[in-house]
Amino acid sequence: MAAVSGLTYCFQERCLLDDVYKYCFHLLEYMHPRITTLISGFLQLVSCFETRKLTSARYRVQEEGSSEALPSLIKAITANEVAGFDSVEEHHDLNRRFKSTLVHPLSTSIFGIEAAAMENENDLSKPQRTHSVSISMPPSPVAAHLQNTNRVLFRDEETVLGNDNPISAATVSLQTKQAKFYSQPMPKGCALNEAITSGTFPNLPVRNPRIDKLKDKRFDSFKTWSGRLERQLSNLRGKHREESEQEPQPQRRAEFENLPVDRYFDALEGPELDTLRASEEILLPEDKKWPFLLRFPISSFGICLGVSSQAIMWKALASSASTKFLHVSPDINLVLWLISIALVLIVAIIYALKVIFYFEAVRREYYHPIRVNFFFAPWIALLFLALGVPPSVSQTLHASLWYILMTPIFCLELKIYGQWMSGGQRRLSKVANPSNHLSVVGNFVGALLGATMGLKEGPIFFFAVGLAHYTVLFVTLYQRLPTNETLPKELHPVFFLFVAAPSVASMAWARIQGSFDYGSRIAYFIALFLYFSLAVRVNFFRGFRFSLAWWAYTFPMTGAAIATIRYADVATSTVSKTLTIVLCIVATLIVSALLVTTIIHAFVLGDLFPNDIAIAISKRRPKTTRRWYNRRSGSSDTKVEEYLKYSNSDSKDIEGSTNSSDRQEMPVSLHKKVERHHPTTFQNRENLMCFCEVFTTRIKGGALCSPESSWELDF
Amino acid sequence: MGEQVPQSPISVVVDPPMIITSTNPQEPVIVAAKEAASDSILSRLHAGYFRICLSFGAQVLLWKTLNEHVNETNSIHNIFHTRSFPSTAFFLLYWLSLCTLILLSFLYILRCIFYFRLVKAEFLHRVGVNCLFLPWISWLLLLQAIPLRKQSKNFPCQMLWWIFVVPVVILDIKIYGQWFTTEKRFLSMVANPTSQLSVMGNLVGAWAAARMGWKESGVCIFSLGLAHYLVVFITLYQRLSGASRFPAALRPAFFLFVAAPSTASLAWSSISGSFGVPCKMLFFLSLFLFTSLICRPSLFKKSMKRFNTAWWTYSFPLTFLALASAEYSREVTGVVASGLMLILSALSVLVFLGVLIVTAANTDTLLRENDACLSLAGTKTTNN
Repeated sequence: MAAVSGLTYCFQERCLLDDVYKYCFHLLEYMHPRITTLISGFLQLVSCFETRKLTSARYRVQEEGSSEALPSLIKAITANEVAGFDSVEEHHDLNRRFKSTLVHPLSTSIFGIEAAAMENENDLSKPQRTHSVSISMPPSPVAAHLQNTNRVLFRDEETVLGNDNPISAATVSLQTKQAKFYSQPMPKGCALNEAITSGTFPNLPVRNPRIDKLKDKRFDSFKTWSGRLERQLSNLRGKHREESEQEPQPQRRAEFENLPVDRYFDALEGPELDTLRASEEILLPEDKKWPFLLRFPISSFGICLGVSSQAIMWKALASSASTKFLHVSPDINLVLWLISIALVLIVAIIYALKVIFYFEAVRREYYHPIRVNFFFAPWIALLFLALGVPPSVSQTLHASLWYILMTPIFCLELKIYGQWMSGGQRRLSKVANPSNHLSVVGNFVGALLGATMGLKEGPIFFFAVGLAHYTVLFVTLYQRLPTNETLPKELHPVFFLFVAAPSVASMAWARIQGSFDYGSRIAYFIALFLYFSLAVRVNFFRGFRFSLAWWAYTFPMTGAAIATIRYADVATSTVSKTLTIVLCIVATLIVSALLVTTIIHAFVLGDLFPNDIAIAISKRRPKTTRRWYNRRSGSSDTKVEEYLKYSNSDSKDIEGSTNSSDRQEMPVSLHKKVERHHPTTFQNRENLMCFCEVFTTRIKGGALCSPESSWELDF
Repeated sequence: MGEQVPQSPISVVVDPPMIITSTNPQEPVIVAAKEAASDSILSRLHAGYFRICLSFGAQVLLWKTLNEHVNETNSIHNIFHTRSFPSTAFFLLYWLSLCTLILLSFLYILRCIFYFRLVKAEFLHRVGVNCLFLPWISWLLLLQAIPLRKQSKNFPCQMLWWIFVVPVVILDIKIYGQWFTTEKRFLSMVANPTSQLSVMGNLVGAWAAARMGWKESGVCIFSLGLAHYLVVFITLYQRLSGASRFPAALRPAFFLFVAAPSTASLAWSSISGSFGVPCKMLFFLSLFLFTSLICRPSLFKKSMKRFNTAWWTYSFPLTFLALASAEYSREVTGVVASGLMLILSALSVLVFLGVLIVTAANTDTLLRENDACLSLAGTKTTNN
């Protein structure tokens, strides 16, 4: 646990540039003293001689690894997995000092054992042999395949320490059938954790930093260069690395290409499509915090939207004729405007860094059916900044600014609306979601800004495009088509985006026409109605996980307040003035409440930027454990990255996959059996799940069919 | 008769990928193909061929408008230093299009007489029925383009307008009624880009009426068209049943997305008397959709493999857009507006000429072989 916490600690440090090497050394430095203290009690169990021997051997492995990365990686995994088995045994029987896990293939020939043993010998070198641990975890995929039919005997013997001949050990164990155990590679992180807690420390202090580096290559697959640059540099310097290390990369890239929209719907759930379904797996480790940039979503620009719209509101309050009686100081606008400029700058810089360093992640966000709408947010925020510019700073803006700001919006619209109309599977009847309003509202904001700046035709263009597509979107959302997969079934703050487009449109139309005429009023009253119909249901806006995207849902309220100010200018009455004040207060309160929540989440809870699951879904759908296993045992060494993924995903993942419907009954019965026989062995649920997974795999993998495999699970 | 339809020569499959359902037994189809080869031209001449006339008519109108434009404003004159467009070319084009239209209409009337079941099959087909609007739109366009010096309330023109508009309205009543009453033909089932042709029929009718001075009739048909345009537009954008059912060979029909708002803009400008903000908005929408479509050339890749009459759908929406831009530049004087008009007009003429040349080069396949839409009509009726 210390190691894990250390790991988490290291990842909690929000370094902008995720330097893998640095993390590894951090990890090592951090873990070393802790582990030594933690293990001091257990340390006596292992002789100093043994430890030293192990350590030296490890370093030898390390040297090998430096010349040849992949085998050493496998070795490390193997060692870890073996350690996991060890620990289980230790839990079971604490007074035993050494134990052995032996492979005993009953259903294969003795040649199989020999081969496995030899391979073991070759690959794992000395420490494993002194441990006499064998292929509980296959040293190579071939061996894993072999193990499909293998049985492993867990022995409670302490004889085989330093035994150089595993076959003899196996023979011995054959005679004393005490514990028979269907073995599969011990899955995943629980083994590692268990190993750490139970003090199979020799692994840890001497952990090969290179292995750690390789492990963190998972993040590399999201990086823009993912080592290619380094490779090129080293190639320039004349150092040619082996191809085996880089081989997984193109494969990974191929997986990133064109992730179909259906995968997003299959793998994710929730109104913002940001929660992973139980049966799914992701490409990045779920159990630790990812690099900060990977966790930084595009929806962060929502903050800019919320704050800069507030700046506009206070500007309108200070300058409008209808709100003169409030005597609002224009300084508030100035302050808010400066704050929002700073926010936009910060968020933009961070996101630009993400674009530079993790372009794959950005691309995945772009293909995400809901996130893509947030790509409008930065430009809308800039438009808001231009709209809310304080009179003291600048009275007029140059027209070219408008063209510059509208160009990216126009290009994005060509893409998004084109997708709706004719592009592949992203048809509107499928992807329609209230957040699509963000892609429409940009038109109206642009039209408003352009008309405010005195342009004529450009604002009409964007207003027309916006109106046409807003009509389409509005009708589609109201229809709640059964094909709409992302439409939230229950109320959610995202519905407030409904208010945004008509309220901004009313202002834009008023600016285009020069007066708040009937067209504007129609749009304004539509907005007001939608606002109230949502406001009376405010009770239901509870129980959702806070996310940064909520900021984007506040600007519609501010927009409605601003529109009310404009309306009160032409319809001067007490009612309109009261409405103005109420709406302004509500908008301000909501924004401040959100600010407080954000601060709490950022500094108290520290989960403002949780792992961004949405970008890490895998392309293929994981069907069964069997497939999972086949993939693992699958053909080539290039799968190591994938392998790592599986061996490290945490217990939640296993639980999720075990809970999937097609494997319900079997594990349960197995649990009971296992628990009855060895109540102490399976101390925690994680462990249990690991074993169940193993059993299920076995059963599904065909062990059931072979006659000699028996159902009884003797230990 | 209805039983005979499946065996009709139209159910010829030109291109295997164009078969809608693979459940059809192959042999009858092949037999039918052999029959069709020896069959007359009438059986293969479907309403889709009127796209050619429509393109011609739109070109004529564009030339006429540009001519007027030159006379009124001097923006083009300033650029090109020409006093007017050669009127002989315009007359030539006009008579050519008129002859083509008369010829095709005559042939189609013959088809109605001798192959009524085929016409009926066309009428029952969800793409084919929209093509039935094409002849009337073409006639209405040519009616507007009559090269008279003083083209106003003359009696024959008005009579002709009535003659051409009444079928459009009848078809409208039939189709729009089906959209929300007949279960098999709900809009969500039958909507495809060619549905905009039915809307365009109304809009062109309104335009012609307004240009002849009948504002009220114009407004009446315009509102009918616009309301249904809204519905069709939304439905098409939603892509409910999916574009997969829309054959790739007919993909040029996506350009009708451009044509419909342009026509609406032209019609409203005629009705209201000036190219106001609503007209501008419709024009801009059409411009945006045009940009959006030309940004996706891959959409049309499949249809470009083999020539068929659907290619003419590239031509006339562009011409309508160019017409709208001409009206726009008449309202908004400026370099940008004039430049836009010039570019769009040039593009439209080029596309028109290009398709014309391709058609001339493929005359043998134009009427000898069977058309994709035709086979569609056949297969579809077979399904029914």
